[in-house]
Amino acid sequence: MSLLTDEVRALEGQTRVYTAPEPFGAAAGRYFGLAIGDDNPLYSDPDYARAQGLAGVTAPLTLVCETNQYAGLPMDAEGYAGHTWQLDIPGTRQVRGGNKYTFHRRIRPEDVVTATWRITSVTEKVTGSGNQMLIVGSTATYTNQEDELLAENAETIIFVGLEKKA
Amino acid sequence: MSEATASFADHAAIAVGDVIPPLERTITLTDMVAYAGATWDWHKLHYDTAYVAEKKLPGPIVDGQVFGALLVEMLQDWLGPQSFVRELEFTFRNLVFAGETLRCAGTVTEVGEDRISVSMSVVVVAEDGSDGRAAAAPASAVVLLGTPDGPGAPA
Repeated sequence: MSLLTDEVRALEGQTRVYTAPEPFGAAAGRYFGLAIGDDNPLYSDPDYARAQGLAGVTAPLTLVCETNQYAGLPMDAEGYAGHTWQLDIPGTRQVRGGNKYTFHRRIRPEDVVTATWRITSVTEKVTGSGNQMLIVGSTATYTNQEDELLAENAETIIFVGLEKKA
Repeated sequence: MSEATASFADHAAIAVGDVIPPLERTITLTDMVAYAGATWDWHKLHYDTAYVAEKKLPGPIVDGQVFGALLVEMLQDWLGPQSFVRELEFTFRNLVFAGETLRCAGTVTEVGEDRISVSMSVVVVAEDGSDGRAAAAPASAVVLLGTPDGPGAPA
Protein backbone atom coordinates (compact mmCIF):
# COMPACT_ATOMS: atom_id res chain seq x y z
CA MET A 1 0.00 0.00 0.00
CA SER A 2 1.33 3.44 -0.91
CA LEU A 3 2.06 5.98 1.81
CA LEU A 4 1.17 8.67 -0.72
CA THR A 5 -2.58 8.68 -0.15
CA ASP A 6 -4.96 11.34 -1.43
CA GLU A 7 -5.03 12.77 2.09
CA VAL A 8 -1.23 13.05 2.13
CA ARG A 9 -1.16 14.53 -1.40
CA ALA A 10 -3.59 17.20 -0.24
CA LEU A 11 -0.98 18.46 2.24
CA GLU A 12 1.04 20.09 -0.55
CA GLY A 13 0.54 23.83 -0.54
CA GLN A 14 -0.73 24.03 3.05
CA THR A 15 0.43 27.19 4.79
CA ARG A 16 0.72 28.37 8.39
CA VAL A 17 1.59 31.93 9.37
CA TYR A 18 2.80 33.02 12.82
CA THR A 19 3.75 36.49 14.01
CA ALA A 20 5.79 36.94 17.17
CA PRO A 21 3.93 38.72 19.97
CA GLU A 22 6.95 40.95 20.66
CA PRO A 23 10.21 42.20 19.08
CA PHE A 24 13.06 39.67 18.90
CA GLY A 25 15.03 41.51 21.58
CA ALA A 26 18.76 41.81 22.25
CA ALA A 27 18.60 39.34 25.12
CA ALA A 28 17.43 36.55 22.80
CA GLY A 29 20.64 36.67 20.76
CA ARG A 30 22.90 37.08 23.77
CA TYR A 31 21.24 34.18 25.58
CA PHE A 32 21.46 31.92 22.52
CA GLY A 33 25.17 32.73 22.22
CA LEU A 34 25.64 31.72 25.85
CA ALA A 35 23.65 28.52 25.37
CA ILE A 36 25.71 27.30 22.42
CA GLY A 37 29.04 28.52 23.80
CA ASP A 38 29.54 31.19 21.14
CA ASP A 39 31.11 34.25 22.77
CA ASN A 40 31.30 36.37 19.61
CA PRO A 41 30.90 39.99 20.77
CA LEU A 42 28.60 40.72 17.80
CA TYR A 43 25.89 39.19 20.00
CA SER A 44 26.68 40.99 23.25
CA ASP A 45 28.74 44.16 22.71
CA PRO A 46 26.93 46.99 20.89
CA ASP A 47 30.09 49.10 20.57
CA TYR A 48 31.95 46.23 18.91
CA ALA A 49 29.00 45.54 16.58
CA ARG A 50 28.76 49.23 15.60
CA ALA A 51 32.51 49.32 14.93
CA GLN A 52 31.92 46.57 12.36
CA GLY A 53 29.24 48.58 10.57
CA LEU A 54 26.16 47.07 12.19
CA ALA A 55 23.43 49.11 13.86
CA GLY A 56 24.08 47.30 17.14
CA VAL A 57 24.06 43.79 18.54
CA THR A 58 22.55 41.02 16.49
CA ALA A 59 21.59 37.38 17.06
CA PRO A 60 23.58 34.36 15.89
CA LEU A 61 22.38 33.80 12.33
CA THR A 62 20.64 30.46 12.77
CA LEU A 63 18.59 31.51 15.78
CA VAL A 64 15.70 32.85 13.70
CA CYS A 65 15.40 29.38 12.15
CA GLU A 66 15.70 27.58 15.50
CA THR A 67 13.55 29.55 17.89
CA ASN A 68 9.88 28.97 18.61
CA GLN A 69 9.58 32.51 19.94
CA TYR A 70 7.43 33.64 17.03
CA ALA A 71 4.93 30.81 17.31
CA GLY A 72 3.11 31.85 20.46
CA LEU A 73 1.81 28.29 20.80
CA PRO A 74 1.14 26.40 24.04
CA MET A 75 3.37 23.49 25.04
CA ASP A 76 2.09 20.09 23.97
CA ALA A 77 2.14 17.06 26.27
CA GLU A 78 5.82 16.46 25.51
CA GLY A 79 6.86 20.06 26.11
CA TYR A 80 7.06 21.21 22.48
CA ALA A 81 5.70 24.68 21.73
CA GLY A 82 6.64 25.23 18.11
CA HIS A 83 5.24 24.82 14.63
CA THR A 84 4.56 21.30 13.38
CA TRP A 85 2.38 20.03 10.57
CA GLN A 86 0.90 17.49 13.02
CA LEU A 87 1.37 14.73 10.48
CA ASP A 88 0.51 11.26 11.67
CA ILE A 89 1.50 8.64 9.11
CA PRO A 90 0.60 5.22 10.60
CA GLY A 91 3.23 2.49 10.31
CA THR A 92 6.14 4.90 9.93
CA ARG A 93 8.85 6.49 12.04
CA GLN A 94 9.69 10.13 11.50
CA VAL A 95 13.27 11.29 10.93
CA ARG A 96 14.70 14.68 10.01
CA GLY A 97 16.34 14.95 6.63
CA GLY A 98 18.10 18.29 6.73
CA ASN A 99 17.86 22.03 6.35
CA LYS A 100 18.92 24.64 3.84
CA TYR A 101 19.05 28.17 5.20
CA THR A 102 19.38 31.36 3.16
CA PHE A 103 20.12 34.44 5.24
CA HIS A 104 19.26 37.86 3.84
CA ARG A 105 20.41 40.03 6.71
CA ARG A 106 21.24 39.89 10.40
CA ILE A 107 18.42 40.05 12.93
CA ARG A 108 18.08 43.31 14.84
CA PRO A 109 16.56 43.43 18.33
CA GLU A 110 13.61 45.52 17.08
CA ASP A 111 12.59 42.99 14.41
CA VAL A 112 9.17 41.45 14.96
CA VAL A 113 9.37 38.14 13.14
CA THR A 114 6.64 36.61 11.03
CA ALA A 115 7.24 33.03 9.93
CA THR A 116 5.30 31.68 6.96
CA TRP A 117 5.50 27.90 6.67
CA ARG A 118 4.42 26.07 3.52
CA ILE A 119 4.50 22.44 2.45
CA THR A 120 6.25 22.51 -0.92
CA SER A 121 6.42 18.83 -1.85
CA VAL A 122 5.26 15.40 -0.81
CA THR A 123 7.00 12.52 -2.58
CA GLU A 124 7.38 8.79 -2.09
CA LYS A 125 10.48 6.60 -2.52
CA VAL A 126 11.60 3.12 -1.57
CA THR A 127 14.80 2.83 0.46
CA GLY A 128 17.70 0.60 -0.55
CA SER A 129 16.56 -1.91 2.08
CA GLY A 130 13.04 -1.96 0.62
CA ASN A 131 11.19 0.28 3.06
CA GLN A 132 8.72 2.83 1.80
CA MET A 133 9.58 6.42 2.52
CA LEU A 134 7.46 9.56 2.42
CA ILE A 135 9.45 12.77 2.01
CA VAL A 136 7.79 16.03 3.06
CA GLY A 137 9.52 19.25 2.03
CA SER A 138 8.51 22.54 3.61
CA THR A 139 9.81 26.07 3.72
CA ALA A 140 9.68 28.81 6.30
CA THR A 141 10.06 32.40 5.17
CA TYR A 142 10.94 34.87 7.93
CA THR A 143 10.04 38.54 7.50
CA ASN A 144 9.74 41.49 9.87
CA GLN A 145 7.08 44.12 10.56
CA GLU A 146 8.25 46.11 7.51
CA ASP A 147 7.88 42.98 5.37
CA GLU A 148 11.66 42.87 4.96
CA LEU A 149 12.97 39.40 4.10
CA LEU A 150 15.21 38.08 6.89
CA ALA A 151 15.81 34.42 6.11
CA GLU A 152 14.44 31.30 4.44
CA ASN A 153 14.56 27.76 5.73
CA ALA A 154 13.87 24.72 3.54
CA GLU A 155 13.48 21.58 5.60
CA THR A 156 12.92 17.92 4.88
CA ILE A 157 11.08 15.45 7.08
CA ILE A 158 11.12 11.76 6.19
CA PHE A 159 8.57 9.15 7.24
CA VAL A 160 10.16 5.71 6.89
CA GLY A 161 7.81 2.73 6.66
CA LEU A 162 8.40 0.15 9.37
CA GLU A 163 7.64 -2.76 7.04
CA LYS A 164 9.33 -3.57 3.77
CA LYS A 165 7.37 -3.01 0.57
CA ALA A 166 5.81 -6.27 -0.63
CA MET B 1 36.73 33.82 20.71
CA SER B 2 37.37 37.04 22.54
CA GLU B 3 37.70 40.47 21.00
CA ALA B 4 41.10 41.04 22.55
CA THR B 5 42.68 37.87 21.17
CA ALA B 6 40.79 37.38 17.93
CA SER B 7 42.78 37.12 14.71
CA PHE B 8 40.97 36.36 11.53
CA ALA B 9 41.80 34.87 8.15
CA ASP B 10 43.18 37.17 5.46
CA HIS B 11 40.25 37.09 3.03
CA ALA B 12 42.47 37.96 0.04
CA ALA B 13 44.71 34.95 0.69
CA ILE B 14 42.01 32.28 0.95
CA ALA B 15 42.43 29.52 -1.65
CA VAL B 16 40.60 26.36 -2.69
CA GLY B 17 41.65 23.52 -0.41
CA ASP B 18 42.30 25.71 2.62
CA VAL B 19 41.31 23.94 5.82
CA ILE B 20 39.01 25.80 8.21
CA PRO B 21 40.22 25.75 11.84
CA PRO B 22 37.99 23.08 13.37
CA LEU B 23 35.59 23.72 16.22
CA GLU B 24 35.01 21.16 18.98
CA ARG B 25 32.31 21.38 21.60
CA THR B 26 31.15 18.97 24.28
CA ILE B 27 27.40 19.27 24.68
CA THR B 28 26.47 18.65 28.30
CA LEU B 29 22.95 18.16 29.59
CA THR B 30 23.23 21.59 31.21
CA ASP B 31 24.08 23.10 27.80
CA MET B 32 21.03 21.36 26.37
CA VAL B 33 18.76 22.79 29.06
CA ALA B 34 20.15 26.26 28.30
CA TYR B 35 19.60 25.66 24.58
CA ALA B 36 16.02 24.52 25.18
CA GLY B 37 15.35 27.79 26.98
CA ALA B 38 17.09 29.91 24.34
CA THR B 39 15.03 28.37 21.53
CA TRP B 40 11.70 28.00 23.34
CA ASP B 41 11.89 24.26 22.64
CA TRP B 42 11.20 22.31 25.82
CA HIS B 43 10.60 18.91 24.23
CA LYS B 44 11.38 16.24 26.82
CA LEU B 45 13.66 14.40 24.40
CA HIS B 46 16.29 17.05 25.03
CA TYR B 47 16.60 16.92 28.84
CA ASP B 48 14.23 14.46 30.58
CA THR B 49 16.30 11.38 31.40
CA ALA B 50 13.30 9.35 32.62
CA TYR B 51 11.39 10.15 29.42
CA VAL B 52 14.25 9.10 27.13
CA ALA B 53 14.80 5.93 29.18
CA GLU B 54 11.16 5.03 28.55
CA LYS B 55 11.84 5.51 24.83
CA LYS B 56 14.88 3.19 25.19
CA LEU B 57 17.27 5.91 24.05
CA PRO B 58 20.81 6.01 25.50
CA GLY B 59 20.39 9.61 26.68
CA PRO B 60 18.77 12.97 26.00
CA ILE B 61 19.07 13.89 22.31
CA VAL B 62 21.00 16.98 21.25
CA ASP B 63 18.76 19.19 19.08
CA GLY B 64 20.09 18.70 15.56
CA GLN B 65 19.80 22.36 14.74
CA VAL B 66 22.71 22.99 17.12
CA PHE B 67 24.92 21.61 14.34
CA GLY B 68 23.98 24.56 12.12
CA ALA B 69 24.74 27.05 14.88
CA LEU B 70 28.16 25.49 15.47
CA LEU B 71 29.00 25.52 11.75
CA VAL B 72 28.20 29.23 11.56
CA GLU B 73 30.29 29.83 14.69
CA MET B 74 33.25 28.00 13.12
CA LEU B 75 33.01 30.11 9.96
CA GLN B 76 32.48 33.38 11.80
CA ASP B 77 35.38 32.75 14.18
CA TRP B 78 37.64 32.03 11.21
CA LEU B 79 36.56 34.84 8.89
CA GLY B 80 35.76 37.52 11.46
CA PRO B 81 32.95 40.06 11.65
CA GLN B 82 33.50 41.34 8.09
CA SER B 83 31.83 38.21 6.70
CA PHE B 84 28.27 36.95 6.38
CA VAL B 85 27.09 33.36 6.00
CA ARG B 86 24.65 33.67 3.11
CA GLU B 87 23.69 30.01 2.67
CA LEU B 88 24.01 27.01 4.97
CA GLU B 89 22.89 23.48 4.15
CA PHE B 90 23.27 20.27 6.15
CA THR B 91 21.90 16.74 6.16
CA PHE B 92 21.28 14.87 9.40
CA ARG B 93 23.01 11.50 9.75
CA ASN B 94 22.90 10.21 13.33
CA LEU B 95 21.50 11.18 16.70
CA VAL B 96 23.87 12.81 19.19
CA PHE B 97 23.43 12.37 22.94
CA ALA B 98 24.15 14.46 26.03
CA GLY B 99 27.82 14.44 26.99
CA GLU B 100 29.16 13.71 23.52
CA THR B 101 31.76 15.93 21.84
CA LEU B 102 31.15 17.30 18.37
CA ARG B 103 33.85 18.22 15.89
CA CYS B 104 33.05 20.63 13.04
CA ALA B 105 35.47 20.72 10.14
CA GLY B 106 35.58 22.08 6.64
CA THR B 107 37.57 23.05 3.55
CA VAL B 108 37.24 25.75 0.93
CA THR B 109 35.79 24.46 -2.35
CA GLU B 110 35.39 27.68 -4.39
CA VAL B 111 36.77 31.19 -4.19
CA GLY B 112 35.02 34.09 -5.90
CA GLU B 113 35.58 37.82 -5.95
CA ASP B 114 33.42 38.51 -2.90
CA ARG B 115 32.51 35.06 -1.57
CA ILE B 116 33.74 31.58 -0.85
CA SER B 117 32.06 28.19 -0.80
CA VAL B 118 32.98 25.61 1.80
CA SER B 119 32.30 21.93 2.38
CA MET B 120 31.87 20.91 6.01
CA SER B 121 30.97 18.08 8.35
CA VAL B 122 29.99 17.54 11.96
CA VAL B 123 31.10 14.29 13.61
CA VAL B 124 31.00 12.84 17.10
CA VAL B 125 34.52 12.55 18.46
CA ALA B 126 35.31 8.91 19.24
CA GLU B 127 36.95 7.78 22.50
CA ASP B 128 40.38 7.65 20.83
CA GLY B 129 39.97 11.18 19.48
CA SER B 130 39.31 10.13 15.91
CA ASP B 131 36.23 11.04 13.89
CA GLY B 132 33.34 8.87 15.02
CA ARG B 133 29.86 8.66 13.56
CA ALA B 134 28.65 11.52 11.37
CA ALA B 135 26.16 13.91 12.94
CA ALA B 136 25.69 16.16 9.89
CA ALA B 137 27.14 15.44 6.46
CA PRO B 138 27.30 16.62 3.85
CA ALA B 139 27.18 20.24 4.90
CA SER B 140 28.08 23.32 2.91
CA ALA B 141 27.97 27.09 3.05
CA VAL B 142 28.42 30.17 0.93
CA VAL B 143 30.01 33.06 2.83
CA LEU B 144 30.15 36.69 1.68
CA LEU B 145 33.49 38.37 2.39
CA GLY B 146 34.19 42.00 3.20
CA THR B 147 30.76 42.70 4.62
CA PRO B 148 29.31 42.39 8.13
CA ASP B 149 25.75 41.90 6.88
CA GLY B 150 23.70 40.36 4.10
CA PRO B 151 22.26 41.78 0.90
CA GLY B 152 18.95 42.50 2.64
CA ALA B 153 20.55 44.97 5.05
CA PRO B 154 19.94 48.67 4.45
CA ALA B 155 22.71 50.27 2.38
